[in-house]
Amino acid sequence: MKWKIGEHRPDRRRLLRLLGRAFVYAGTALFSVGLMGRRGLAAAIPALAGTGYDWTKHRWGFGIDATRCIGCLRCVEACKTENGVSRDAHHFRTWVERYVYLKGEKAPRIDSQADPGNIAASGSETEYRFDNRYRDAKVEKAFFVPKLCNQCEHPPCVQVCPVGATFRTPDGVVLIDHDYCIGCQYCVQACPYGARSFNPKHEVTDKCTWCYHRITRGLKPACVEACPVDARIFGDQNDPESPISRFIRENRVQVLQPAMGTSPNVFYVGIEKEVV
Amino acid sequence: MEALFDAAPFTGYVFPNETVIPWSLMIVIYPYITGLVAGSFTVATFYHVFGVPRFRPVARFALLTSLSFMVFVPVPLLLHLGHPERSMNVLLTPHLTSAFAAFGFFATFYVVLVSLEIWFAYRENIVAWAQERKGLLGLFYRVLSLGSYEISPNTKAYDAKWLKALAVTGIVGAHGLHGYVGFVFGSLKSREWWGSDLMPVIFLVSAITSGIAILIVLYVVTSRVRKVPVDLDCLKGMAYMLWGFLIFTTVLEFLEFTNMIYKGREGIETIVAMAIGPLGFSLGVLQMGFAVIAFFIMTYFMWRSTQDRQMVIGVTISALLMLVSVFAMRWNVVIGGQELSKTLQGLLSFHAPLLGREGLLTMLMVFALPFGLLWVLTRLLPPWVPKPDHVLSR
Amino acid sequence: MADSESRMPRHIVRLLLIFAIGGAIALIARILFQDKSYGRYGIYRGDAVAEIAADEPMYQGPGYCQSCHAERHAEWTAGIHKVVVCETCHGAAAKHPSAKAAVTVDLAGKSTRVRIAGERLEHIKLAIPADSVKLCTLCHEKMPGRPAAQKQIEVSSHAGGQQCIVCHNPHSPKIGAAGAQKAGKPGDAAAGRKKAAACAACHGAEGVSGNPEWPSLAGQQRGYLAGALLAYKSGARPDPMMSAQAKGLSEADIGDLAAFYSDASCKAAGSKSSAQLASAGKAKAAACASCHGAEGVSGNPAWPSLAGLQEAYLVNALKAYQSGARRNPMMAGLAKGLSEAEIGQLAAYYAGLKCK
Repeated sequence: MKWKIGEHRPDRRRLLRLLGRAFVYAGTALFSVGLMGRRGLAAAIPALAGTGYDWTKHRWGFGIDATRCIGCLRCVEACKTENGVSRDAHHFRTWVERYVYLKGEKAPRIDSQADPGNIAASGSETEYRFDNRYRDAKVEKAFFVPKLCNQCEHPPCVQVCPVGATFRTPDGVVLIDHDYCIGCQYCVQACPYGARSFNPKHEVTDKCTWCYHRITRGLKPACVEACPVDARIFGDQNDPESPISRFIRENRVQVLQPAMGTSPNVFYVGIEKEVV
Repeated sequence: MEALFDAAPFTGYVFPNETVIPWSLMIVIYPYITGLVAGSFTVATFYHVFGVPRFRPVARFALLTSLSFMVFVPVPLLLHLGHPERSMNVLLTPHLTSAFAAFGFFATFYVVLVSLEIWFAYRENIVAWAQERKGLLGLFYRVLSLGSYEISPNTKAYDAKWLKALAVTGIVGAHGLHGYVGFVFGSLKSREWWGSDLMPVIFLVSAITSGIAILIVLYVVTSRVRKVPVDLDCLKGMAYMLWGFLIFTTVLEFLEFTNMIYKGREGIETIVAMAIGPLGFSLGVLQMGFAVIAFFIMTYFMWRSTQDRQMVIGVTISALLMLVSVFAMRWNVVIGGQELSKTLQGLLSFHAPLLGREGLLTMLMVFALPFGLLWVLTRLLPPWVPKPDHVLSR
Repeated sequence: MADSESRMPRHIVRLLLIFAIGGAIALIARILFQDKSYGRYGIYRGDAVAEIAADEPMYQGPGYCQSCHAERHAEWTAGIHKVVVCETCHGAAAKHPSAKAAVTVDLAGKSTRVRIAGERLEHIKLAIPADSVKLCTLCHEKMPGRPAAQKQIEVSSHAGGQQCIVCHNPHSPKIGAAGAQKAGKPGDAAAGRKKAAACAACHGAEGVSGNPEWPSLAGQQRGYLAGALLAYKSGARPDPMMSAQAKGLSEADIGDLAAFYSDASCKAAGSKSSAQLASAGKAKAAACASCHGAEGVSGNPAWPSLAGLQEAYLVNALKAYQSGARRNPMMAGLAKGLSEAEIGQLAAYYAGLKCK
């Protein structure tokens, strides 16, 4: 069959991808129906701590305004406290990167709070601060970028989990069942954003949940709560007047590594091409 | 107290969570052992399916080798898991979009398949031993015989059919298994060093290469131990196979690397820096260099077309070189892939711990286990066939 | 005969039987051991969602703090730091104030198998940051990458490395913010002179008080004078005499008065105490110097000069800060540790200094 110029041509790649997905889903569905037929495929809503929270009514979204971030790392601190993340420089649910473009240099200098220099400045791996290493340098441009889980529409981490210990909820958050995780760390490998880490004490994978226990109670995630400059924006994308809906509407937002096909749900403003 | 984790030093920028390298030695040894399974099974298949008579002396030994390694494939994985006690979740609730989910079934299936293959290949002997032997050993054979000592043209025809059918399934399985191991790495878009379409193919052919190599080494060593002459015809056959797969593997690896360099996508500077820096020795010398040396040694003996003691030595040395080369390839893929940061703007350096659950010692122990099992298996099910018997008893 | 030859041999039948039994055991095991909630909503353990959602929040939000610390809360909401919530500096409040409220959530939530409880039970009392320099510079150290709108200081040259809270109220850090309004019009000294007639009875015609308990106003910092009058007017600084006086003043009047008095030339009240007392006070005054000036002459319009003020007035003021009758978080903190003797020494020292 030939396609004439001007005629709409179906996107072959997309078609293939859809077919592939359909195949996988069909397989999974068939398999599940076979295995769980005795229970039926329930679409019910879980009783979330008796709050009456309906997870089909929300579609959470997160915004990062990098032009506002001051790199104070109170979000990192809040996250570690709120979620019991390992208190060291190697396990983070959220972190902040610093991009500094020096005069005469092509590539930016990048570091995060986990950088040895910054750990030395804070004096301990359990506290976080950025050192002032570029104080006397000729800085052309510099900014901070908070990072966290993108809660992708098509999460590669969920795709690779062999036991279904990580999954995406209908309200758009990727969670980990710590009591079911076998600790293979395949998901750690699969995340293109480095958002997952392996809790060394409990030997299970850990990741940002946008503080699922808070947002289902109507609270903001701890990092958003703690941010003193409103660099972190959170809300329900289903609500046109929520902070995140306004943020997306009123800014030209972008996502990280769009070519990965993950469709992230964290939207950035004010970042550069080097930010991955 | 032992530290809970090792943090890797880095240069450039890496994501904070990357400083603890997730997959270490156990995931290096896992595809290596799996590869040996696939390779030795391929040799056995050449006899059982394709009926190549020159492989008869090693056909049953190859099956035992295959089983010995296959049984221990899950061990490094279990050692790697944070919660090995939950590993049954993979079988109970496999998540079908995961490349790992298939593993439990694949491994189980494959162990069963190879065991069956061995059972059919040995059935006549088992029946004979069950009637001859006394005591515990006799009981063992009697259990194995399933209480049926019947040997007739009918049973022989059945056994031969099963043997062939299983071998055909097995060859698909063995190659599927190893292609799948390559898929585990090749399907990850997050890692530039892994996410290549060629990865499963390279894993597969290098697996076969290493499997043939270990069979050559084991055959030569056991012949010496048993003080019987090496069947030169058989050895040469394996040498041909090794030679062919060696060329195939090396060309593919070279193509993949060239492809990556030629495309020169984002981060290529960092990739090159890794290939000539931290990975320089294991990639340039161990993986590529050894393969090239083995290629020249083998080519020399293939060219000369003589069959003598020198050929045995040359082929064995080449096989040993290839064993190292393929191990280095596994190392370079698994470790290299993680030393290259996902940011493509930094490199981590992995330092193998000596002790600990995933340390070097554990790795050596895990690698030694299949040899122990193989020793036991050759005692229980002697694979060696008497030299003069050249008729295929199929 | 052909029949018996093609019949399936016994060992194969038995083999297949073994497989059938094995398969059946596997299936039964699967049904027995598979989690009951697995697959309820998707390919995962359905109960996990509620378990994760059951985690107790650690960060409680300013409303939680307000219930006990209403005063601080009010102060905070009025200031420019209202964008920084309490817990950003003081830490999560979930385990505060009582041990009973301590939650033992962990990354695995409700699970009893996975817990990091110990790390959560450290302090029931919330930290009052000891090192304000360390804390405040997290946000306010001048650093490339921080947006220009963010207030930043050069740490090495700012305030000689003193604790930030010496000069700034962390809950409302803008200097002079406590009661001080927007500057408004500069104020007219000549107009102020006319309006000052009502003040002359106590503070002197030219702002130099003759009464030891009433302060001289001449030469005082303009911003401080305006702030003080506004505070009297609003009731933030209650005083039987001054509140009534200030009530009738407009903001323009206040500006004019402040302009008049600050421009007026001062005259030191002098100290009647011994030189020994004053020199002891001088040693104590080092802590005051950063705001009130090395010689008691303030460099900041919002902070009063102390040089040459009435000795008894100074004593009363410090005691009022101590007792809380005069409310000022900075001064309350500084005055708290002073003994009666020390107050006397400081007052003697400042009263004896030459004014500007």
